[in-house]
Amino acid sequence: MEEIFSNDIPLTVSELTREIKISLESQFTPIAVTGEISSFKRAYPSGHCYFSLKDANAQISCNLWKTRYQHLKFEPKEGMTVIVRGRISVYEPRGSYAIDVASMSEAGIGDFQIAYQKLKARLFAEGLFNESNKKPLPEFPVNIAIITSESGAVIEDFKRVAENRYPLFTLYLFPVTVQGKGSAESVCRAIASANKYKVKFDIIILARGGGSPEDLWTFNEESVARAIFASEIPIVSAIGHEIDYPISDFVADMRAPTPSAAAEMILPDRNELLESLKQSKAVIRNSVTGIIQEYKEFLNNTEKNYVFKRPKDMMNEFKLRLDEKYEKLGREVSDRIKKLKEGLEYTGSILEKIGPDATLRRGYTI
Amino acid sequence: MVKKKEEENSFEYSYRRIGEIVDELESSIEEKSLEEIISAYQEGLTLLKICREKLEEAELKIEKINSQF
Repeated sequence: MEEIFSNDIPLTVSELTREIKISLESQFTPIAVTGEISSFKRAYPSGHCYFSLKDANAQISCNLWKTRYQHLKFEPKEGMTVIVRGRISVYEPRGSYAIDVASMSEAGIGDFQIAYQKLKARLFAEGLFNESNKKPLPEFPVNIAIITSESGAVIEDFKRVAENRYPLFTLYLFPVTVQGKGSAESVCRAIASANKYKVKFDIIILARGGGSPEDLWTFNEESVARAIFASEIPIVSAIGHEIDYPISDFVADMRAPTPSAAAEMILPDRNELLESLKQSKAVIRNSVTGIIQEYKEFLNNTEKNYVFKRPKDMMNEFKLRLDEKYEKLGREVSDRIKKLKEGLEYTGSILEKIGPDATLRRGYTI
Repeated sequence: MVKKKEEENSFEYSYRRIGEIVDELESSIEEKSLEEIISAYQEGLTLLKICREKLEEAELKIEKINSQF
Protein backbone atom coordinates (compact mmCIF):
# COMPACT_ATOMS: atom_id res chain seq x y z
CA MET A 1 0.00 0.00 0.00
CA GLU A 2 2.59 2.53 1.08
CA GLU A 3 4.61 2.33 -2.09
CA ILE A 4 1.52 2.72 -4.32
CA PHE A 5 0.51 6.05 -2.76
CA SER A 6 4.01 7.45 -2.66
CA ASN A 7 4.77 6.54 -6.24
CA ASP A 8 5.24 9.55 -8.49
CA ILE A 9 3.82 7.81 -11.51
CA PRO A 10 0.07 8.44 -11.38
CA LEU A 11 -2.35 5.54 -11.20
CA THR A 12 -5.13 5.11 -13.66
CA VAL A 13 -8.67 5.35 -12.22
CA SER A 14 -9.06 1.63 -12.83
CA GLU A 15 -5.92 0.79 -10.94
CA LEU A 16 -6.92 2.89 -7.94
CA THR A 17 -10.45 1.53 -7.90
CA ARG A 18 -9.06 -1.96 -8.13
CA GLU A 19 -6.89 -1.32 -5.05
CA ILE A 20 -9.84 0.16 -3.13
CA LYS A 21 -11.97 -2.82 -4.09
CA ILE A 22 -9.38 -5.30 -2.86
CA SER A 23 -8.79 -3.35 0.31
CA LEU A 24 -12.47 -2.83 1.25
CA GLU A 25 -13.68 -6.23 0.23
CA SER A 26 -10.99 -8.06 2.16
CA GLN A 27 -11.31 -5.94 5.27
CA PHE A 28 -15.11 -5.91 5.66
CA THR A 29 -16.16 -9.50 5.23
CA PRO A 30 -18.23 -10.93 6.62
CA ILE A 31 -20.11 -8.16 8.45
CA ALA A 32 -23.40 -7.76 10.35
CA VAL A 33 -24.91 -4.28 10.44
CA THR A 34 -28.16 -2.89 11.80
CA GLY A 35 -30.11 0.05 10.41
CA GLU A 36 -33.41 1.24 9.02
CA ILE A 37 -34.57 0.26 5.51
CA SER A 38 -35.07 3.24 3.24
CA SER A 39 -35.91 3.72 -0.45
CA PHE A 40 -36.63 0.03 -0.89
CA LYS A 41 -36.99 -0.84 -4.58
CA ARG A 42 -37.57 -4.12 -6.33
CA ALA A 43 -36.35 -3.97 -9.91
CA TYR A 44 -38.36 -5.60 -12.68
CA PRO A 45 -37.94 -7.94 -14.42
CA SER A 46 -34.73 -8.97 -12.67
CA GLY A 47 -36.36 -9.28 -9.23
CA HIS A 48 -33.25 -7.93 -7.49
CA CYS A 49 -33.83 -5.52 -4.62
CA TYR A 50 -31.98 -2.30 -3.82
CA PHE A 51 -32.29 -0.21 -0.69
CA SER A 52 -30.39 1.92 1.79
CA LEU A 53 -29.66 1.06 5.35
CA LYS A 54 -29.56 4.13 7.50
CA ASP A 55 -29.47 5.64 10.93
CA ALA A 56 -29.52 9.26 12.06
CA ASN A 57 -26.15 10.21 10.57
CA ALA A 58 -25.19 7.86 7.76
CA GLN A 59 -26.47 5.53 5.12
CA ILE A 60 -25.17 2.71 3.01
CA SER A 61 -26.51 1.08 -0.14
CA CYS A 62 -27.51 -2.56 -0.08
CA ASN A 63 -27.98 -5.06 -2.89
CA LEU A 64 -30.29 -7.95 -2.25
CA TRP A 65 -30.21 -10.43 -5.11
CA LYS A 66 -33.36 -12.19 -6.17
CA THR A 67 -32.34 -15.66 -4.91
CA ARG A 68 -31.56 -14.29 -1.46
CA TYR A 69 -34.70 -12.16 -1.40
CA GLN A 70 -36.68 -15.34 -1.96
CA HIS A 71 -35.18 -16.86 1.18
CA LEU A 72 -36.20 -13.99 3.46
CA LYS A 73 -38.68 -14.89 6.22
CA PHE A 74 -40.35 -11.45 6.08
CA GLU A 75 -41.30 -8.77 3.55
CA PRO A 76 -38.85 -5.85 3.84
CA LYS A 77 -40.66 -2.52 4.24
CA GLU A 78 -39.73 1.13 4.50
CA GLY A 79 -38.71 2.17 7.98
CA MET A 80 -38.10 -1.33 9.27
CA THR A 81 -35.01 -1.79 11.38
CA VAL A 82 -33.14 -4.88 10.21
CA ILE A 83 -29.91 -6.71 10.76
CA VAL A 84 -28.11 -7.31 7.50
CA ARG A 85 -25.35 -9.89 7.08
CA GLY A 86 -23.07 -9.89 4.08
CA ARG A 87 -19.93 -8.36 2.73
CA ILE A 88 -18.88 -5.06 1.23
CA SER A 89 -18.62 -5.06 -2.50
CA VAL A 90 -17.23 -2.31 -4.71
CA TYR A 91 -18.75 -1.77 -8.12
CA GLU A 92 -15.90 -0.48 -10.21
CA PRO A 93 -17.76 1.04 -13.19
CA ARG A 94 -19.45 3.48 -10.83
CA GLY A 95 -16.90 3.61 -8.09
CA SER A 96 -19.62 2.83 -5.58
CA TYR A 97 -19.70 0.47 -2.68
CA ALA A 98 -22.58 -1.45 -1.17
CA ILE A 99 -23.40 -4.29 1.12
CA ASP A 100 -23.94 -7.49 -0.77
CA VAL A 101 -26.70 -8.93 1.43
CA ALA A 102 -26.39 -12.61 2.26
CA SER A 103 -29.17 -12.69 4.83
CA MET A 104 -31.38 -10.25 6.66
CA SER A 105 -33.53 -10.41 9.80
CA GLU A 106 -36.06 -8.08 11.39
CA ALA A 107 -34.98 -6.03 14.39
CA GLY A 108 -38.21 -4.21 15.17
CA ILE A 109 -39.68 -0.97 13.88
CA GLY A 110 -37.33 1.86 12.95
CA ASP A 111 -36.94 5.15 14.81
CA PHE A 112 -38.68 7.13 12.08
CA GLN A 113 -41.62 4.76 12.22
CA ILE A 114 -41.77 5.02 15.99
CA ALA A 115 -41.72 8.81 15.89
CA TYR A 116 -44.44 8.79 13.23
CA GLN A 117 -46.67 6.37 15.14
CA LYS A 118 -46.23 8.26 18.41
CA LEU A 119 -47.05 11.64 16.92
CA LYS A 120 -50.00 10.22 15.03
CA ALA A 121 -51.43 8.66 18.21
CA ARG A 122 -50.93 11.88 20.18
CA LEU A 123 -52.51 14.18 17.60
CA PHE A 124 -55.37 11.73 17.14
CA ALA A 125 -56.03 11.74 20.89
CA GLU A 126 -55.98 15.54 20.85
CA GLY A 127 -58.71 15.57 18.20
CA LEU A 128 -56.70 16.99 15.31
CA PHE A 129 -58.02 14.31 12.95
CA ASN A 130 -61.68 14.61 14.00
CA GLU A 131 -64.15 14.46 11.14
CA SER A 132 -66.19 17.18 12.87
CA ASN A 133 -63.31 19.63 12.38
CA LYS A 134 -63.08 19.03 8.64
CA LYS A 135 -64.20 21.96 6.55
CA PRO A 136 -66.24 21.37 3.40
CA LEU A 137 -64.66 22.28 0.06
CA PRO A 138 -66.49 24.63 -2.31
CA GLU A 139 -67.85 23.11 -5.50
CA PHE A 140 -66.68 25.94 -7.77
CA PRO A 141 -63.44 27.40 -6.36
CA VAL A 142 -62.47 30.84 -7.66
CA ASN A 143 -59.14 31.41 -5.88
CA ILE A 144 -56.84 28.53 -4.99
CA ALA A 145 -53.51 28.74 -3.17
CA ILE A 146 -50.95 26.03 -3.78
CA ILE A 147 -48.03 25.65 -1.38
CA THR A 148 -45.29 23.69 -3.09
CA SER A 149 -41.87 23.84 -4.63
CA GLU A 150 -41.76 26.23 -7.54
CA SER A 151 -39.28 24.12 -9.48
CA GLY A 152 -40.73 20.63 -9.16
CA ALA A 153 -42.98 18.74 -11.56
CA VAL A 154 -45.87 19.16 -9.11
CA ILE A 155 -46.88 22.65 -10.17
CA GLU A 156 -46.70 21.71 -13.87
CA ASP A 157 -48.78 18.56 -13.33
CA PHE A 158 -51.35 20.48 -11.37
CA LYS A 159 -51.59 23.20 -14.02
CA ARG A 160 -52.00 20.65 -16.79
CA VAL A 161 -54.89 18.85 -15.07
CA ALA A 162 -56.53 22.14 -14.08
CA GLU A 163 -56.35 23.54 -17.61
CA ASN A 164 -58.06 20.47 -19.02
CA ARG A 165 -60.59 20.16 -16.29
CA TYR A 166 -61.76 23.56 -15.06
CA PRO A 167 -59.59 26.61 -15.88
CA LEU A 168 -62.06 29.02 -14.28
CA PHE A 169 -60.00 29.99 -11.27
CA THR A 170 -56.83 31.83 -10.32
CA LEU A 171 -54.00 29.75 -8.93
CA TYR A 172 -51.69 31.49 -6.44
CA LEU A 173 -48.36 29.78 -6.00
CA PHE A 174 -46.69 30.08 -2.61
CA PRO A 175 -43.20 28.76 -3.31
CA VAL A 176 -41.62 26.82 -0.42
CA THR A 177 -38.80 24.39 0.25
CA VAL A 178 -40.46 21.03 0.58
CA GLN A 179 -37.63 19.03 2.13
CA GLY A 180 -34.65 19.41 4.36
CA LYS A 181 -33.69 21.95 6.97
CA GLY A 182 -36.12 24.82 7.37
CA SER A 183 -38.77 23.27 5.13
CA ALA A 184 -41.30 22.73 7.94
CA GLU A 185 -40.97 26.40 8.98
CA SER A 186 -41.32 27.50 5.39
CA VAL A 187 -44.51 25.45 4.94
CA CYS A 188 -45.98 26.73 8.22
CA ARG A 189 -45.27 30.34 7.23
CA ALA A 190 -46.91 29.82 3.85
CA ILE A 191 -50.06 28.38 5.45
CA ALA A 192 -50.28 31.37 7.82
CA SER A 193 -49.69 33.90 5.00
CA ALA A 194 -52.27 32.27 2.74
CA ASN A 195 -54.79 32.69 5.56
CA LYS A 196 -53.99 36.40 5.86
CA TYR A 197 -53.61 37.13 2.14
CA LYS A 198 -55.59 39.99 0.56
CA VAL A 199 -57.38 37.52 -1.73
CA LYS A 200 -59.73 35.18 0.09
CA PHE A 201 -58.75 31.66 -0.93
CA ASP A 202 -61.35 28.95 -1.29
CA ILE A 203 -58.84 26.14 -0.90
CA ILE A 204 -55.18 25.72 0.06
CA ILE A 205 -53.34 22.80 -1.50
CA LEU A 206 -50.25 21.45 0.18
CA ALA A 207 -48.38 19.52 -2.47
CA ARG A 208 -45.16 17.61 -2.91
CA GLY A 209 -44.12 14.96 -5.41
CA GLY A 210 -42.96 11.46 -4.57
CA GLY A 211 -39.83 10.76 -2.54
CA SER A 212 -38.36 8.60 0.18
CA PRO A 213 -39.96 8.72 3.65
CA GLU A 214 -37.12 11.01 4.76
CA ASP A 215 -37.83 13.36 1.84
CA LEU A 216 -41.47 13.54 2.88
CA TRP A 217 -40.64 13.98 6.56
CA THR A 218 -41.55 17.68 6.58
CA PHE A 219 -45.19 16.66 6.28
CA ASN A 220 -44.85 14.47 9.38
CA GLU A 221 -43.66 17.39 11.49
CA GLU A 222 -45.86 18.40 14.39
CA SER A 223 -45.51 22.11 13.54
CA VAL A 224 -46.90 21.50 10.04
CA ALA A 225 -49.77 19.43 11.47
CA ARG A 226 -50.67 22.26 13.86
CA ALA A 227 -50.44 24.91 11.13
CA ILE A 228 -52.86 22.88 9.00
CA PHE A 229 -55.22 22.48 11.94
CA ALA A 230 -55.14 26.23 12.64
CA SER A 231 -55.99 27.18 9.04
CA GLU A 232 -59.36 28.88 8.53
CA ILE A 233 -59.27 27.91 4.88
CA PRO A 234 -59.83 24.25 3.95
CA ILE A 235 -56.57 22.46 3.19
CA VAL A 236 -55.97 19.55 0.84
CA SER A 237 -52.89 17.44 1.57
CA ALA A 238 -51.41 16.00 -1.63
CA ILE A 239 -48.06 14.52 -0.68
CA GLY A 240 -46.03 11.85 -2.48
CA HIS A 241 -47.66 8.80 -4.02
CA GLU A 242 -50.72 6.71 -3.19
CA ILE A 243 -48.76 4.65 -0.67
CA ASP A 244 -47.67 7.64 1.42
CA TYR A 245 -49.76 8.68 4.41
CA PRO A 246 -47.94 11.56 6.09
CA ILE A 247 -49.49 13.11 9.23
CA SER A 248 -50.58 16.10 7.11
CA ASP A 249 -53.02 13.77 5.30
CA PHE A 250 -54.86 13.05 8.56
CA VAL A 251 -55.09 16.66 9.77
CA ALA A 252 -56.02 18.18 6.42
CA ASP A 253 -59.64 18.63 5.41
CA MET A 254 -59.06 16.32 2.46
CA ARG A 255 -56.35 13.85 1.49
CA ALA A 256 -55.40 13.48 -2.16
CA PRO A 257 -53.20 10.50 -3.08
CA THR A 258 -51.07 12.61 -5.45
CA PRO A 259 -50.88 16.30 -6.48
CA SER A 260 -52.55 15.68 -9.87
CA ALA A 261 -55.26 13.66 -8.12
CA ALA A 262 -55.84 16.74 -5.94
CA ALA A 263 -56.69 18.75 -9.05
CA GLU A 264 -59.13 16.08 -10.12
CA MET A 265 -60.75 15.88 -6.71
CA ILE A 266 -61.26 19.57 -6.03
CA LEU A 267 -62.16 20.81 -9.52
CA PRO A 268 -65.43 20.11 -11.30
CA ASP A 269 -65.13 18.52 -14.75
CA ARG A 270 -65.73 20.90 -17.64
CA ASN A 271 -67.13 18.16 -19.89
CA GLU A 272 -69.58 16.99 -17.25
CA LEU A 273 -70.70 20.58 -16.71
CA LEU A 274 -71.22 21.13 -20.43
CA GLU A 275 -73.24 17.91 -20.58
CA SER A 276 -75.39 18.97 -17.64
CA LEU A 277 -75.93 22.41 -19.25
CA LYS A 278 -77.07 20.65 -22.41
CA GLN A 279 -79.63 18.71 -20.43
CA SER A 280 -80.82 21.84 -18.64
CA LYS A 281 -81.26 23.52 -22.00
CA ALA A 282 -83.38 20.61 -23.24
CA VAL A 283 -85.55 20.74 -20.12
CA ILE A 284 -86.03 24.51 -20.38
CA ARG A 285 -86.82 24.31 -24.11
CA ASN A 286 -89.18 21.36 -23.80
CA SER A 287 -91.14 22.66 -20.87
CA VAL A 288 -91.69 26.03 -22.50
CA THR A 289 -92.57 24.71 -25.96
CA GLY A 290 -94.80 22.20 -24.16
CA ILE A 291 -96.70 24.87 -22.32
CA ILE A 292 -97.03 27.01 -25.44
CA GLN A 293 -98.44 24.00 -27.30
CA GLU A 294 -100.92 23.52 -24.47
CA TYR A 295 -102.02 27.15 -24.70
CA LYS A 296 -102.45 26.82 -28.47
CA GLU A 297 -104.57 23.71 -28.15
CA PHE A 298 -106.65 25.38 -25.49
CA LEU A 299 -107.31 28.34 -27.78
CA ASN A 300 -108.18 26.12 -30.71
CA ASN A 301 -110.57 24.08 -28.64
CA THR A 302 -112.19 27.16 -27.19
CA GLU A 303 -112.75 28.57 -30.64
CA LYS A 304 -114.57 25.44 -31.70
CA ASN A 305 -116.65 25.48 -28.54
CA TYR A 306 -120.52 25.59 -28.91
CA VAL A 307 -120.76 28.82 -26.97
CA PHE A 308 -118.77 30.70 -29.56
CA LYS A 309 -120.85 29.34 -32.44
CA ARG A 310 -124.14 30.17 -30.69
CA PRO A 311 -124.76 33.65 -32.14
CA LYS A 312 -124.86 32.27 -35.63
CA ASP A 313 -127.14 29.48 -34.57
CA MET A 314 -129.45 31.96 -32.93
CA MET A 315 -129.59 34.05 -36.07
CA ASN A 316 -130.40 31.03 -38.12
CA GLU A 317 -133.17 30.16 -35.73
CA PHE A 318 -134.60 33.64 -35.96
CA LYS A 319 -134.48 33.50 -39.70
CA LEU A 320 -136.26 30.22 -39.68
CA ARG A 321 -138.91 31.52 -37.38
CA LEU A 322 -139.29 34.66 -39.46
CA ASP A 323 -139.77 32.59 -42.57
CA GLU A 324 -142.39 30.53 -40.84
CA LYS A 325 -144.25 33.65 -39.69
CA TYR A 326 -144.05 35.16 -43.11
CA GLU A 327 -145.49 32.09 -44.68
CA LYS A 328 -148.28 31.89 -42.14
CA LEU A 329 -149.08 35.53 -42.64
CA GLY A 330 -149.25 35.03 -46.40
CA ARG A 331 -151.54 32.07 -46.02
CA GLU A 332 -153.91 33.96 -43.72
CA VAL A 333 -154.11 36.99 -45.98
CA SER A 334 -154.93 34.96 -49.06
CA ASP A 335 -157.48 32.92 -47.11
CA ARG A 336 -159.22 36.09 -46.08
CA ILE A 337 -159.25 37.43 -49.58
CA LYS A 338 -160.57 34.16 -50.84
CA LYS A 339 -163.33 34.16 -48.24
CA LEU A 340 -164.28 37.76 -49.05
CA LYS A 341 -164.34 36.92 -52.67
CA GLU A 342 -166.55 33.91 -52.09
CA GLY A 343 -168.90 35.98 -49.93
CA LEU A 344 -169.13 38.63 -52.56
CA GLU A 345 -169.88 36.14 -55.26
CA TYR A 346 -172.66 34.58 -53.25
CA THR A 347 -174.32 37.96 -52.49
CA GLY A 348 -174.00 38.79 -56.13
CA SER A 349 -175.85 35.68 -57.22
CA ILE A 350 -178.69 36.29 -54.79
CA LEU A 351 -179.03 39.84 -55.99
CA GLU A 352 -179.04 38.63 -59.46
CA LYS A 353 -181.88 36.19 -58.77
CA ILE A 354 -184.09 38.69 -57.11
CA GLY A 355 -183.05 41.78 -59.03
CA PRO A 356 -185.31 43.52 -61.73
CA ASP A 357 -183.30 42.12 -64.52
CA ALA A 358 -184.15 38.58 -63.66
CA THR A 359 -187.86 39.37 -63.13
CA LEU A 360 -187.95 40.97 -66.46
CA ARG A 361 -186.34 38.01 -68.00
CA ARG A 362 -188.84 35.65 -66.29
CA GLY A 363 -191.61 37.84 -67.80
CA TYR A 364 -194.34 39.54 -66.15
CA THR A 365 -197.77 38.01 -66.38
CA ILE A 366 -200.46 40.37 -65.56
CA MET B 1 -73.13 46.16 -4.08
CA VAL B 2 -69.88 45.53 -5.94
CA LYS B 3 -69.62 42.22 -4.15
CA LYS B 4 -73.09 41.23 -5.26
CA LYS B 5 -72.35 42.16 -8.84
CA GLU B 6 -69.21 40.05 -8.70
CA GLU B 7 -71.17 37.09 -7.44
CA GLU B 8 -73.71 37.44 -10.21
CA ASN B 9 -70.92 37.39 -12.76
CA SER B 10 -69.52 34.16 -11.39
CA PHE B 11 -69.91 30.83 -13.09
CA GLU B 12 -71.31 29.38 -9.91
CA TYR B 13 -74.13 31.96 -9.72
CA SER B 14 -75.23 31.37 -13.33
CA TYR B 15 -74.90 27.60 -13.03
CA ARG B 16 -76.98 27.44 -9.84
CA ARG B 17 -79.60 29.85 -11.21
CA ILE B 18 -80.03 27.56 -14.26
CA GLY B 19 -80.64 24.70 -11.84
CA GLU B 20 -83.32 26.74 -10.06
CA ILE B 21 -85.02 27.64 -13.33
CA VAL B 22 -85.04 24.00 -14.40
CA ASP B 23 -86.54 22.99 -11.05
CA GLU B 24 -89.22 25.68 -11.26
CA LEU B 25 -90.16 24.75 -14.80
CA GLU B 26 -90.24 21.06 -13.96
CA SER B 27 -92.18 21.25 -10.73
CA SER B 28 -94.59 24.16 -10.81
CA ILE B 29 -95.09 25.27 -14.40
CA GLU B 30 -98.90 25.01 -14.00
CA GLU B 31 -98.88 27.67 -11.31
CA LYS B 32 -97.09 30.19 -13.48
CA SER B 33 -98.43 32.72 -15.90
CA LEU B 34 -97.28 32.60 -19.50
CA GLU B 35 -95.31 35.81 -18.93
CA GLU B 36 -93.44 34.26 -15.99
CA ILE B 37 -92.66 31.16 -17.98
CA ILE B 38 -91.34 33.10 -20.94
CA SER B 39 -89.19 35.32 -18.75
CA ALA B 40 -87.75 32.20 -17.01
CA TYR B 41 -87.09 30.71 -20.44
CA GLN B 42 -85.27 33.81 -21.64
CA GLU B 43 -83.22 34.10 -18.46
CA GLY B 44 -82.35 30.40 -18.68
CA LEU B 45 -81.13 30.63 -22.25
CA THR B 46 -79.06 33.74 -21.53
CA LEU B 47 -77.39 32.10 -18.53
CA LEU B 48 -76.79 28.89 -20.48
CA LYS B 49 -74.94 30.88 -23.11
CA ILE B 50 -72.84 32.68 -20.47
CA CYS B 51 -71.91 29.40 -18.74
CA ARG B 52 -71.00 27.65 -21.97
CA GLU B 53 -68.82 30.51 -23.12
CA LYS B 54 -67.08 30.66 -19.76
CA LEU B 55 -66.32 26.95 -19.81
CA GLU B 56 -65.14 26.96 -23.38
CA GLU B 57 -63.09 30.12 -23.35
CA ALA B 58 -61.62 30.22 -19.85
CA GLU B 59 -57.87 30.13 -19.35
CA LEU B 60 -56.18 29.33 -16.09
CA LYS B 61 -54.66 32.39 -14.42
CA ILE B 62 -51.55 31.91 -12.33
CA GLU B 63 -49.94 34.30 -9.88
CA LYS B 64 -46.74 33.70 -8.03
CA ILE B 65 -46.59 35.07 -4.52
CA ASN B 66 -43.37 36.84 -3.61
CA SER B 67 -41.38 34.45 -1.43
CA GLN B 68 -41.03 37.21 1.20
CA PHE B 69 -44.41 36.25 2.66
